[in-house]
Amino acid sequence: MTTLTRQDLNFGRVVADILCEFLEVAIHLILYVREVYPSGIFQKRKKYNVPVQMSCHPELNQYIQDTLHCIKPLIEKNDAEKVVVVIIDKEHHPVERFVFEISQPPLLSISSDTLLSHVEQLLRAFILKISVCDAVLNNNPPGCSFTVLVHTRDAATRNMEKVQVIKDFPWIVADEQEVYMQEPRLIPLKTMTSDIVKMQLYVEERAQKA
Amino acid sequence: MDELYLDNIDEFVNDHNKIVTYKWLSLTLGVHVNTAKQMLYHYLDHKRKESSAQLHATYLVSGKFVHNGQTSYKVSVVREDQLEDFKSKMSLIVSIHVYSVQKALLKDSGPLYSVDYDAVKDNLKNCSRYSAIRCANAVPMSSLELQQVREKQWGPTPEPENQKSATNGDTSQMSKPSSKPQKGIMGMFTNKATPKNQDSSKGVTSEQKEDTPVVDAAKSKPAGKSNPMINFFGSQTAKKPDKKVKEEEAAQSSSASEQRHQSSQPEAKHEAVAAELPKDTKRDCRSKTKRIKDSDSEEEKVEKKKMRRIKKPEPDSSDEDVLPDSPQQMETREPSPSPKKEQSHPEMKTRKRRQVLKSRTFVDDEGCIVTEKVYESESYSETEDDVPASKHTAKDPNPAKLPASNREDKKSQKKASNTNKGSKQASIMGFFQKK
Repeated sequence: MTTLTRQDLNFGRVVADILCEFLEVAIHLILYVREVYPSGIFQKRKKYNVPVQMSCHPELNQYIQDTLHCIKPLIEKNDAEKVVVVIIDKEHHPVERFVFEISQPPLLSISSDTLLSHVEQLLRAFILKISVCDAVLNNNPPGCSFTVLVHTRDAATRNMEKVQVIKDFPWIVADEQEVYMQEPRLIPLKTMTSDIVKMQLYVEERAQKA
Repeated sequence: MDELYLDNIDEFVNDHNKIVTYKWLSLTLGVHVNTAKQMLYHYLDHKRKESSAQLHATYLVSGKFVHNGQTSYKVSVVREDQLEDFKSKMSLIVSIHVYSVQKALLKDSGPLYSVDYDAVKDNLKNCSRYSAIRCANAVPMSSLELQQVREKQWGPTPEPENQKSATNGDTSQMSKPSSKPQKGIMGMFTNKATPKNQDSSKGVTSEQKEDTPVVDAAKSKPAGKSNPMINFFGSQTAKKPDKKVKEEEAAQSSSASEQRHQSSQPEAKHEAVAAELPKDTKRDCRSKTKRIKDSDSEEEKVEKKKMRRIKKPEPDSSDEDVLPDSPQQMETREPSPSPKKEQSHPEMKTRKRRQVLKSRTFVDDEGCIVTEKVYESESYSETEDDVPASKHTAKDPNPAKLPASNREDKKSQKKASNTNKGSKQASIMGFFQKK
């Protein structure tokens, strides 16, 4: 039984790594399931011992990786409250928002040997839920694109603006129109609680998608 | 059987939005698999009559399939809308049953595997409790017998080929008896070898497995395919692959092929894989039973398979139609407009050039970024097998040139990508033109 505090940065890094890996897979899967990009660019890969769809397009992959690379320090310090994958239609209005609410307990305690495989199982369940989410969502209009927003606690982003984590990959404060959605419908997808992280995934969907 | 199960299934499908496969249902409700299949069928029937909710179903179809004059036994999971079409292509249908029921229209078969993965993992020690496949000869070896086998194995064979991990000792042993190759069972293992083809279009849950015919025992090609597979499953006896895999007690003894055609239907191959993978994680729990897969990761399995091929050089040819590795299948595939096949079976000499699938990204004439997966010659030796093998699992092998019919379906649905024949994804990349 080890009890670590948030100051133990190594463990914070481990959690951030796990979450960022998961978010990468989740974002690719959301793009596949919601048909944001044609399914031809996706190929089956394995994660958490189950098949998932990942894109092959190098620029798309690079974009997602850079995005998560910038988010990682926020997660390490537990500054990231929500990571949101927003699907935007042609008029730049959000159509769907996949919200990952993340919270980490201040005192991390590793209480069992099977902690990581337990976490893997929970993340597998998330992946499965994303795969079947199109049963509860309406179809999106064609020509959608996506963006990733991060909601942080306090003013953590001030640091991000000062120090560019990745060159030529700036983060900006999001426009109001990208953040707020008209008449959202809330559809919860999955919740997980574990010793190292608590996460909730829900979808906000615009009532009329045109 | 009382009607309560209808409500149960209804709750799972509609309220929880789960994918209900028959295997998951049988493990959850504690009923025999055949009962679970019937339950799903009745539920589907019931709901369709009421025409209330919109449900989708997938079916498992197995039977004889004739392709280019060659008869094979094929087992596939197909979506409902592709069912009639698929049935018409088979020459003889041995069994059809409901595989899963869900609300969402599945674009590919990945989630089906995920559903069973956790269910089987939780019941690892007795996941065949409700199964219809049985083999009296399949019992776990006692630790004494295990010891003897290991000693026998490691003693006389000190060549570099035996760089495999300790668990391979069993498989090497199995390779000898398995030299009487195709018995249909062994052919059954080529299921694992056949690529899991994913339709590039949405909605592919059809997986094909080619089973070498029981009759054509003499075919060298299937022999080549099946032998590594036999070794792969190693001690798994000559039963349906999933049974073997699931039955952790399946010991070293290889059963006769007649057991292959038992009354129960063959399970989908990915279930075999699914059951296999959980073993990896549970290996620390099972110290007694010797399993080849125990200490295997997917990569190691690939390596082993390739290494085992060393023993059976003659059937391998570079034009084999079938992908050898199930792990590769897991990761494979969007079929290209002109589907190619991965042929790189490393020839088992000490140092040779072989074709390795490599991915090259470049900008073509139109200014589009093209990622091409091509075969490039690579010199390698046996000891380097690990590295290329792991590369293989990470790459996306070109789709198999499997029965043209399936390909045609996929092709027709993949409208956008038909223009560019040169590479798999060039036309798709047209969407992302760099101007």
